[in-house]
Amino acid sequence: MAEDLEYTSFELMAVTGARELKDGEIVAVGLGLPVVASFLAKRTHAPHLTIVLELGIVDPEPIEIGSGLSDPRFWYRAKIHSSFVDMLGMVLHKGLVDVGFLGGLEIDAYGNLNTTLLGDPEGKYRRFTGSGGGNDLASCARRTVIIMRHEARKLKEAVSFITSPGYLRGSGERESLGLPGGPARVITDKAVFGFDPETKRMRLEAIHPNTTLEDILSNMSFQPVIPSHVPFTEPPTAEQLRLIREEIDPDRMYAGS
Amino acid sequence: MTKLVTLAEAVATIPDGAHVALSGFATARCAIAFAHEVIRQGTKKLTVSQCVGAIDADILVGAGAVERIIYGGGSRGRSGQHSCICRAIEQGTLITEELSSLSMTFRNLAGSLGLPFIPIRSLNGSDILKKLEGITPPVVSYVDDPFTGEKWLVLKPLIPDVAVIQVQASDEDGNAWILGPRWDNEEQVKASKRTIVITERLVSTDAIRREPDRTVIPGFRVSHVVHLPYSAHPSSVYGIYDFDEAHIDEYAAASKTPEGFQQYLEKYVYGVKDHWGYLEQVGGLQRLSALEADPVLGY
Repeated sequence: MAEDLEYTSFELMAVTGARELKDGEIVAVGLGLPVVASFLAKRTHAPHLTIVLELGIVDPEPIEIGSGLSDPRFWYRAKIHSSFVDMLGMVLHKGLVDVGFLGGLEIDAYGNLNTTLLGDPEGKYRRFTGSGGGNDLASCARRTVIIMRHEARKLKEAVSFITSPGYLRGSGERESLGLPGGPARVITDKAVFGFDPETKRMRLEAIHPNTTLEDILSNMSFQPVIPSHVPFTEPPTAEQLRLIREEIDPDRMYAGS
Repeated sequence: MTKLVTLAEAVATIPDGAHVALSGFATARCAIAFAHEVIRQGTKKLTVSQCVGAIDADILVGAGAVERIIYGGGSRGRSGQHSCICRAIEQGTLITEELSSLSMTFRNLAGSLGLPFIPIRSLNGSDILKKLEGITPPVVSYVDDPFTGEKWLVLKPLIPDVAVIQVQASDEDGNAWILGPRWDNEEQVKASKRTIVITERLVSTDAIRREPDRTVIPGFRVSHVVHLPYSAHPSSVYGIYDFDEAHIDEYAAASKTPEGFQQYLEKYVYGVKDHWGYLEQVGGLQRLSALEADPVLGY
């Protein structure tokens, strides 16, 4: 049992993300590691997880992971082919999505996500994806789980553009706008964060194996809340790694290197 | 009644400055042949709307045919950003009305239902909303729920002049099937003043009547039907052909710079007479038959 398994930081992030999903929940996913994490959860502890894709797909069983939402590989063996109105409207906007699973370009201390631009929004900037369904998930899901690379330029005190709202400027602001939920977890390649229940500021919840607190803090641009006791993240099991490597992402599109 | 026309005839019905809703989603069911013909005819100052940005819109923006884009953001997924759209936004040469997937869909839904506005929970607290609040005439506002008193963000409906929709099959009257997920195509059609259907396969009205549960677009909303195989290439058409990964890679690399994109247009748009010439240029039947979808997989 206690053998030291070799795994990549992406595999650890996918496994940690999978653990955030409970059996019987509805999860809405986009691209990349959240997809790997959701299929992993469904094949392990959460067989009754319902996976929805914004463009009109419920519970696909892909045999190839695909290059994005629009890749029909991702729609294979779905139970329903429908539409945005059906998924983002009648499932998400109605309040039935338990978990919105997101990636991001930048995140701030209150879980606000930027996927729109880097630089000065009023001056020179580099344009990226924008929202897609990201803002909708962050606004309407019961909770969101975010997977990000752990870099100082990505974990910032304030983001250059709020594409998808977290807790905005902290305690009470999100609720005052009538928005339910909010970010529950931020999973990076070094740590797992939650949010302080009062201030809504990001709080360290777990440190990945082979990482130190110094390494975590020196690679982020704000100071998170640090509780007196922080556990290590549970490492992947041999079975979880086998599923990722042999069945979910055999071409190592998302969970490799 | 037959509404069959050539692609060139259908494109010629769209004047400069029209608002065109496009059916593409990233790399699926993009109106590529349509975009190429718009560029060849030199139609300008279009407003393009689309729920999630796709290659059809990127080509039109890159070629300078678009004055304004109304969309919910988006990329090609793993194959990267829509470089022409991103570059035009960065350089300020494209008027941008940017929303999210659901808020775009709701605007089309409101348009399709003939509603004056539609409330939404999304966008609140975001910088997307701040930018939308700066647009005149307004596209967002607020109302109090008359039943609870709760304050709601409301969106202005979209009513495009014409929806251009890629479908798997249609009859000559425009009764059309969309197979696979439909994203917001149905709402786009029903919000628009009219629709141009571009179909991979032309079928009889009898065939439509035998499987009416597949029909998403009723003919009475359609002004023109264009029958043109592989008209979404290099994007995919579910159940008929897969996306052309190698060609999308070529497009991705070319569109990274204005010069590269211009060369791409010379080779695949200006350098060919029409869609048939384009299909030869991308490798002809040998290449296209390799993309044919497996009936079980759908790709």
